[in-house]
Amino acid sequence: MNSLLAELLLIRRRAATWILLGFWTAIALLFSYVLPYYAYTANTNFHGRGIVLYVLLPQNLVSTITTTFPFFGGTMVLILGVLCMGSEYNWGTLTTVLVQRDGRLKFFLSKIAALAIAIVPFVLLVFVLGFVASSIIALREDQAIMLPSMWDLVRALSVGWLLLAAWASFGVLLAVLSKGTALAIGLGIIYGLVLEGIISSFGQQIDLLDQVSKGLLRTNGYSLISALGSSIPAEAGPGGFSGTTVSGTQALIVIVVYILLFVAFSALVVKRRDVSGTS
Amino acid sequence: MPGDFVIESENLTKRYRPHIMAVDGLNMQARRGEVYGFVGPNGAGKTTALRMFLGLVRASSGSCLVLGEKPGTPGALARIGALVETPAFYPYLSGRNNLRVLARHAGVPYSRIEPVLEEVELSSRGDDRFKTYSLGMKQRLGMAAALLKDPELLILDEPTNGLDPAGMAEMRHLIRNLGHGNRTVLLSSHLMGELEQICDRIGVVKDGKIVVEGSLDELRQGTRIKLRAKPVVRARELLASLDGVGQTEMQDDDMLIIEADQSLAADINRLLVTAGVDVSELTTVQNSLESVFLSLTGEVRSHE
Repeated sequence: MNSLLAELLLIRRRAATWILLGFWTAIALLFSYVLPYYAYTANTNFHGRGIVLYVLLPQNLVSTITTTFPFFGGTMVLILGVLCMGSEYNWGTLTTVLVQRDGRLKFFLSKIAALAIAIVPFVLLVFVLGFVASSIIALREDQAIMLPSMWDLVRALSVGWLLLAAWASFGVLLAVLSKGTALAIGLGIIYGLVLEGIISSFGQQIDLLDQVSKGLLRTNGYSLISALGSSIPAEAGPGGFSGTTVSGTQALIVIVVYILLFVAFSALVVKRRDVSGTS
Repeated sequence: MPGDFVIESENLTKRYRPHIMAVDGLNMQARRGEVYGFVGPNGAGKTTALRMFLGLVRASSGSCLVLGEKPGTPGALARIGALVETPAFYPYLSGRNNLRVLARHAGVPYSRIEPVLEEVELSSRGDDRFKTYSLGMKQRLGMAAALLKDPELLILDEPTNGLDPAGMAEMRHLIRNLGHGNRTVLLSSHLMGELEQICDRIGVVKDGKIVVEGSLDELRQGTRIKLRAKPVVRARELLASLDGVGQTEMQDDDMLIIEADQSLAADINRLLVTAGVDVSELTTVQNSLESVFLSLTGEVRSHE
């Protein structure tokens, strides 16, 4: 418990945590509510205008806000995961901490637990602000303010946390393997924003890549939110996805397995690898 | 007597690749309550050995017990304070908060933080961020972190790095005081003068091995003779034939440092004067730790 409190103190006091949280919520709101509502108000007679407004209302909070998690949210917490673990190598603090009382595994699991707690506000804040934004839109458009069912909200919050946990643990793994932050962030962003998208796109033409894409984080993330009733963004826009989706159950299993594998492999490396002066 | 050794290593070896031997069969014993100096040239394997004692680096072969336990076990670490290489802390946290984080990890109450900050005279700057600290302040915070657990064993790697002369003197005084009673200090340093002033025993490391280990008096045993003569080359040739004279080393243009017992001084003087060599100075010099170190490690002697 003491180690967990120490790790929480580190995350809480770090400016980067709050910057990422602010940036993520801003992006989520911008692409989920601000830009669509601007498009709705700026163009008064386009086909499907009524549907756009309907999506922006509070009762559709779950399906609207969760679409931002697999792409933008994932990238933000990947960086958070990298910073949490990779900075220990960059600053040399891994040596300082590992010569305290904790064993390596306890230290690492405390860090993972702290990270798991730290991403809770990343989920909650986006939902709260999403509700505020959708309520403002409802009031402006003389629509009723209705919340999604409690069950839908709980499911959406859990799925949101799960998706962010997968990307954050991926960030931790990259940081552990690269023993730092710079390369891990670079590789993570290239993988998350470019590589998975390319594989999914080519999957429409190459069957093998289509099968491969069904095992990717992003595909399973979109499949999971799709199971909640969210409509996946069009391929042309930021965070768009054009690949084949899998069933919700399969996606849930794959995401959980990813988290377990990322954490287990990182823990193994942290436990086994020498901590030398250059690490 | 078993239990008297705080650190015992036997053939401790660390091989990084087949051809890189960082530590090569290290045998050392640090006794309870002593200040043990670990000295050796750069790359001799001192820091790797210290990291092995702390469980940060695993041995390729050999064995080691620290406070009677395997290195890196929570039981051993709870009784060890360490400052390895440069002091590393979270730059965005204050010194005090850095110690809070470490106290949490070490299972030490927060009430230990103020005494150790006072001990290293950092209380007034304790709320400043670590990244604003000077090198000396960082070193002192590293010392405070090492003392946080009130440890039985202190492992300090170059603790006076970055300190000004007054700070170095204070640090030496602090370490000397810490090494009393039941607490053992294992101190690694390049500064011979520092080790001479602080340590009870010294282990000289070269190429990953302890080449000699003993008390200061044991290591500094013997004398050398300093001779100023003209022509110095002729003097050197003559001395080579005299029994009891070891290596001679030329300094400046007319100075020889001779490895020989002081009882030979008169014989040397007689030999040279008889051979027509002018002797203007002949004195005996007690071996310094530095000269012992340099002769053992084969380092070039820069000055006397």
